[in-house]
Amino acid sequence: MRRFGQDISTARPRVVAALAGRLRDLDLAEDAFADAAAAALVTWPNQAPRDPAAWLWRAALRRAIDARRRAAVRDRAILDAPEPLPTPEEALMAADEPIPDERLKLIFVCCHPALAPDIRAALTLKVVCGLSTARLARAFFTAEPAMLQRITRAKRKIAGAGVPFEVPSRPAWPERLEAVLATLEIAYAQAYEDAALADRDAAPFAAEILRLSGLLAELMPDEPEVLGLAALVRFAEARRPARLDDMGAMIPPSEQDVGLWRRDLIAGGADLLGRAAEIGRSGPRQILAAIHAAHCTRAEAGVTDWPTIAALYDVLAEVRPHAAVAVNRAVAIGEARGADAGLAELARIDGVEDWLPYQAALAALSAKGGCPDQARDAYTAALALQPPPAERLWLERRRRDLDVA
Amino acid sequence: MQYMILIYEPEDAYAGEAGEAALKDIVAKHMVLAAELRAKGAMKDGSGLQDSSTATTVVTRGGRQTLHDGPFAETREHLGGYYLIDVPDLDEALAIARRVPVVDGGKVEVRPLAVH
Repeated sequence: MRRFGQDISTARPRVVAALAGRLRDLDLAEDAFADAAAAALVTWPNQAPRDPAAWLWRAALRRAIDARRRAAVRDRAILDAPEPLPTPEEALMAADEPIPDERLKLIFVCCHPALAPDIRAALTLKVVCGLSTARLARAFFTAEPAMLQRITRAKRKIAGAGVPFEVPSRPAWPERLEAVLATLEIAYAQAYEDAALADRDAAPFAAEILRLSGLLAELMPDEPEVLGLAALVRFAEARRPARLDDMGAMIPPSEQDVGLWRRDLIAGGADLLGRAAEIGRSGPRQILAAIHAAHCTRAEAGVTDWPTIAALYDVLAEVRPHAAVAVNRAVAIGEARGADAGLAELARIDGVEDWLPYQAALAALSAKGGCPDQARDAYTAALALQPPPAERLWLERRRRDLDVA
Repeated sequence: MQYMILIYEPEDAYAGEAGEAALKDIVAKHMVLAAELRAKGAMKDGSGLQDSSTATTVVTRGGRQTLHDGPFAETREHLGGYYLIDVPDLDEALAIARRVPVVDGGKVEVRPLAVH
């Protein structure tokens, strides 16, 4: 039974994309797939299909056509329309064709820049990966009816506003690709936050992002930032088993038990990042992935390579001048060249006093630099900024450590 | 598909001497874009609108109609013109919308027509 469930979720992106391409209707594609999957769970235990994806594709297409015919009959009762002709779908059904690969088109539709970024992320996870609205509502910290409403609205806009079911043209490609990458980053950030909340089903959510990023890397093997993002997700996920201690407190990468890190994911990330580097067009996701890779080298080297990490943050700060990057860069510099150097960098960042990562970094660097009073104040300020539970436990512990010392 | 392209610009965008020069420049650009759209058969209609101070709004409420002197909503930006275009999909409509000339701070809204 478990294997059949796996077969269904593996087949889903390809089959739903092919249905969406054929039917030009995301709702109908999703509903037809759900019906076919339900039928599969009844049928397959007695008669396992030779090709699960092909079975689901045929069954879902038949159901979608039935649904359309019923709708046409219903409309005819009112409008007195002529008998519907056999559709091209029906004609093609007979040909027993292979499933067309429309996955890239579906992803570009769900990540269209005419949709708001967080809605793109939720829609992609819903349509391409099949995550439930309830699961998405939890991941995006919203109520289920609100999430359902946002997804419904997005689908209505795609259909109503005429978003094309096409891979974008060359001139539009950079902007459209950026929209896909940004969408996946938002989705992964949610998975990561999720774990900080110690939500027990965070791992399956992150597993979907792993799969989705891998799928994108497979569909766009010549786009180094796509490979970089897939690598980044793998390096970060490799450390998931080591991120929390027995009490549920966060553990930073440099203090995690490397024995718990998943070597298979680290190797997969290194392979992707290597392929990205061969293409020779750097970008923020590749640099971020390289930072994660540098953290992972502690598994072999025994110590964190802070000078390399600090140098990578210098490059990242150039292409992504965000406060989050600046704060992490200051921390890396503090580890590589001493707390004073890190504190000096931190002091150069403006307008971040009420921001948790800043206060946490200020506290850590102050403690390291032998200023316990400043560190204590910063930990208190950080704790006042409502950190997620895992981080709260960690910050409280660090503040207590100051008092002991 | 048909799309309405609605052009919103700050009310005082074309005021004063500098505004007049800007208006000349923008109108010339509109002419070029409209000619191009006409040539490829994408242009259904389009025009600039007179100042929003010339607007009159008919309000229907409780079975009664009253006239309101001015546009329906008092905002800093006002509806200054529109294009009605016919193109295959949203991507093409957005590509045209990006080329609609506006002053700094101008906003161009793209709305598909309801199909009945």
